[in-house]
Order: sequence, then structure tokens, then C-alpha cells
Amino acid sequence: MSEKKILIVDDELIMRESLAGWLERDGHFVDKAGSGEEAIEKVKDIKYDIMLVDIKMEGISGLDVLKKVKETDPDTEIIMITAYGSISSAIEAMKNGAFDYLLKPFDPNELGLLIEKVIKHQSRIRENLYLKEQHRERTRFESMIGQSKPMQEIFDLIQSVAPMNSTVLITGETGTGKGLAAKAIHTKSQCSEGPFVTVNCGSIPEHLMESELFGYQKGAFTDAKETKKGRLELAHGGTLFLDEIGEISMRMQIDLLRVLEDHIFYRVGGTQPIETNFRVIAATNRDIDKAIKDGSFREDLYYRLNVISFKMPSLCERKEDIPLLAEHFLYRFSQETNKPIDQITRETIDELMLYEWPGNIRELENAIERAVVVSKSRKILPEDLPIFQPAKPQISQHHSLREIEKFHIKQILNTNNWNISKSAEILCIDRSTLYNKIKRYNIQKSD
Amino acid sequence: MIDLPEHNILVSPIGDLDSSLIDQIMKGVSDCFRYPVIKKSLIEDMEFAFDSLREQYNSTLLLEKLSPMIPSNTIKVLAVCDRDLFIPILTHVYGEAQLNGRVSIISIYRLKDNLPLINGQSVFFQRVIKEAVHELGHTFNIRHCPDKSCAMHYCHSIGDVDNKSNQLCRYCDTLLADAKKKAGPSL
Repeated sequence: MSEKKILIVDDELIMRESLAGWLERDGHFVDKAGSGEEAIEKVKDIKYDIMLVDIKMEGISGLDVLKKVKETDPDTEIIMITAYGSISSAIEAMKNGAFDYLLKPFDPNELGLLIEKVIKHQSRIRENLYLKEQHRERTRFESMIGQSKPMQEIFDLIQSVAPMNSTVLITGETGTGKGLAAKAIHTKSQCSEGPFVTVNCGSIPEHLMESELFGYQKGAFTDAKETKKGRLELAHGGTLFLDEIGEISMRMQIDLLRVLEDHIFYRVGGTQPIETNFRVIAATNRDIDKAIKDGSFREDLYYRLNVISFKMPSLCERKEDIPLLAEHFLYRFSQETNKPIDQITRETIDELMLYEWPGNIRELENAIERAVVVSKSRKILPEDLPIFQPAKPQISQHHSLREIEKFHIKQILNTNNWNISKSAEILCIDRSTLYNKIKRYNIQKSD
Repeated sequence: MIDLPEHNILVSPIGDLDSSLIDQIMKGVSDCFRYPVIKKSLIEDMEFAFDSLREQYNSTLLLEKLSPMIPSNTIKVLAVCDRDLFIPILTHVYGEAQLNGRVSIISIYRLKDNLPLINGQSVFFQRVIKEAVHELGHTFNIRHCPDKSCAMHYCHSIGDVDNKSNQLCRYCDTLLADAKKKAGPSL
């Protein structure tokens, strides 16, 4: 029998004492309160597993104690104790969340079995929480979420790559979570205690990139009123995350390559070599092979960065994660906006699953954020998602038959996720005719 | 005045009880707790504990009455009676004990229920010994045990009593050893 913390609330001393004695011999920690008021005071300081509460008491009644405790501590199970004549109050108590009730005096076996029942019930709840937590752990990796096979593979890869000090190149479309993957590698790495410094190569103007990365010495240029450390210096002992590495200029590529090789650099305007030690993680959504071929990315830098590389799957490649991600975003945004929205309807999930998500997780995140803002109920409905609002026919009497046909074909294709066979069937034409029409009207997926 | 052995357990029959039953209890208690066990009636009459509304005897009142009567060399008392016992909140009890205290009581009243036709008396004696060990175990600060074969297991039915043994499990035996160190030397 596992020990439970039990509070007995009864205004009859003899009842309290005899019950306490029995429960103590049964191995529980027992506390006693002689009134509803005393019980309410006690629950402010101590969390009880079980409370045995007499319904009829002077002052605050057992029912009031029940309501009060259930408000603050819903996990505490309450067994009401009642005299033979007041079963209706016990039933009332059950409606208000009491676990069960006992008629005074009760059979010791009945009490023993009821306590056992509560213990089993509470242990089932704990087990469920544990399983949920385990599931959460399986589907979450640092800040990343995913139960799909591609994501589980990414989690495994990060786990094995993180402890090495090797440079990592993460590729993948925009919005697939490359930054989160880089952060996860850092968190799991030996230098996790050190800083994680991000340089968004795509957003820093080229003329500022040099001073941003290397820092500058006081007086190096007109605005250099004092010496400033660059990101390379700040990343010392930690991880330097070069996001959108495909966007940096050829000149910066050369400078960066030198730093990666020697781990020594100079601040702009400085003459003192600065030695730095950090791990480099780079990310890009560009096709680097193509960039090398067309000469916009240095092959030697690519090899320096590409010691270990992996590609983040697009959301389309891990569609089974969409419900999980959508629910995560719903929870976050409903908390942030303080709107009590707790459900995404099945129809909405179906719509989310059908969409291609060219903007990947970021686009899904934005869609759910917008849906939370516009939703007028506790549920997210398909019409709350802007991307799925049925396009209103923008056809007027001035449109030609050709324009109307193009519009209609495009609508059918989009509705059917560009499934040619299905669209052709709906349009009552064969597949080759549909292909011809797509070509003739220049209908494209992104239209 | 008779000299009582040091650190004894006293079995105190209340009223006229079968002496062979008391002998069996004394032997069972001695086997389990390894203290000298003596017999002495501390009270003859238990009518003061009678509740006329319930037509039962209040075991808590009996323990209270026995408490100041414990002889000096006695470490624990087990009173034995043949009347139906209760504590106010419960319909009945087989016995009651002061947890980590010195006094306990058992009733044989309900232990006679559903005895088998063959070996009925032996089964009855075993039940009484098990309850005696159980209640005395509480005075050694041992609580109910989840092991269904342990004498400290709380039984929901008389069948459960028949299924458990009159001995303590390894775990409860360790707790007993701890308590005995505090109580004084045993046999």
C-alpha cells in the first residue's frame, strides 16, 4: 500500500480520532481538521492526496469544503462522509466532484476498498501523465517538434553530431526549422555553456557585414567612436551560426574561409591578431552545388563548411507532423492572445493536410496565428484559415470563354491538390487534354 | 507477588475464554516476536465499553482502560475478548492497537464466521493467532503490508485472513527488528 497524505475533516472528535487511527495503521500520513474553516486553512499549505470530509458540520459545510478544494486542487480526491438520512447531500457532492461517499458508520472493508480505489485512480492519472510526457519527449527535441520518420531521423542525427566539434551545414527550404536544428546541436554540444551567436547573412547589408563579423577598432572609420567586438569574437567558446550562408558576398567568403582555417582574424582597423575558437554551423536554402557551378559560391568554403551536412525536410515531406505542429501553435497563440481556443476541427486539419505549404512551418505558424486572431469560437474552423477561403469567382460578363475555362481548370486543380487524374475526371476530360490545357493556358502551381 | 520476566508480552484474556486458545495465542506470539509471553487478566469485566445503541463494545475505550494497568516489566499487552468490537466510525473491527504504543486488543467474535467443517477449530485458532500477531505488530509501529501472505496484510474478508500466514514478511520483520532494538532485549 503506497502511503498517502489524507486529511480527515469532521467536527466530531471521536470520529476524527478513530478514523485517523485506522488510516495510520493502514500506513498513511493522516492529518485532522475539526471544521470546514480549519480544513480550508490546512489545504492552503499542504497538498493532500485524499480528503475524507463530513458533510454536516457547523459553519462551513462539507459541500463548501469540497467546492473550495476542487477549485484550487482538483487532483485531491474527496470522499464525503454522511449520516444515513442525508444521502441526497452525498449525491449532490458527487455532482460537485466528490470521488465517492461513505455512510456513517462504515464497514472497514468498504473504507479499505475505497481508499485502494482512489490510490489506483490516482496512479492511473499519474501513469497517463507520464505516458503523455514520454510521448512529448519522443515528439520534441529541444524546441523542435515532430513524430514523423524524417524528423525522428533528424533528431537522431543531431544527437550523434552534436558532441563532435565538426562544422555542420544544414540545408533545406525556408521555414523548415534550420535555425532550431542549429540551436539544438549547440544545446547538445560540449560547448553548450558557451554563447550561441547567430549571423543572418541574408539580412545584414554587405557594407556592414565585415564590421558585424570582425568588429572594429576605435577610429577605424568615422562612426567608430569606440572599439566593438564582432560576432566572431563574441562566439568564442560557443557556436557561430551562419544563417543564409548562401547570401554572403565573394569577398566575405574569402575572409570567412581564412577565419575558419586559422581561427585568427583582425578587427576592422585593427593590427592585433585575435584568436578565437568556436564551432561553426551554417545553413542555407540555396542550391549550393548550383551556386558553385555558376561561380557565386566558393567551392573551398563549401568543403570547409560541409564536413557534416543534412537537409531539413520540407513540411510537405512530413505532413503527418502537421496536426502536432498546428496544436502546438494553437496552444502558444491562444495563450499569447488570451483567447480560450482549444480545438482545431477535423475539417480544418483535413484542409491543413491538403495544402502544400511552400513556406513550410513558418507559413503554418502564421496561418494558425491568424486563425486564432480571427476565430470567433473555441474551435479553429476551415474558414478561419485565410489560405483556404474559397476563392470567389472573379468572373464578370466581360470575361471571354477562354478566361473562364482557365479560371475553372485552375480552381479544380488547386482544390484537388494538383492531382491530374482526379481533376480530369471532375472536368470530364481525359488526362492528356488536361495537360494540353494547362500548357496552353500556362497554368502554374503557384498561380 | 510473582516476578514477571523482563521485557515480556502480556496476553490478557477478558472473561471466560478457552485456555487452549490462549495457549495457542501465547505460542504464536512468542514464535513471532521472540519475547517471553505471560498470561494475566488485567480486567475481568468489559461492560463499561458497551454501547447499547450499537450493541457492541468500543475497543478504543478498552485500550484506554488497559493502558494505565500495564505491569512494569511488560512491553506490550494483547487483550483477547469474545465480544463484537467497534470503533465509532466503523461498523466493526477484528481488533485495535495503539500504533507504536503498548496496548492492543482482538476479538474472536467474528473470527468464527464461515469456518470449514473439517479442521474448523484449527483454522479458527490460526485466524486468532494471525489477528493477535497483526494487532501486536501495530504496537511495534508496523503498518499494513501489501504482501498478501504477511500477517500485517489488511484483510477485506475472512477468506483473506485464511490466506495470509501468521508470520511477518521479510520487510515487516526488518521493521520489527528495528522496533525491538528500541523496546528492549528479546529472547
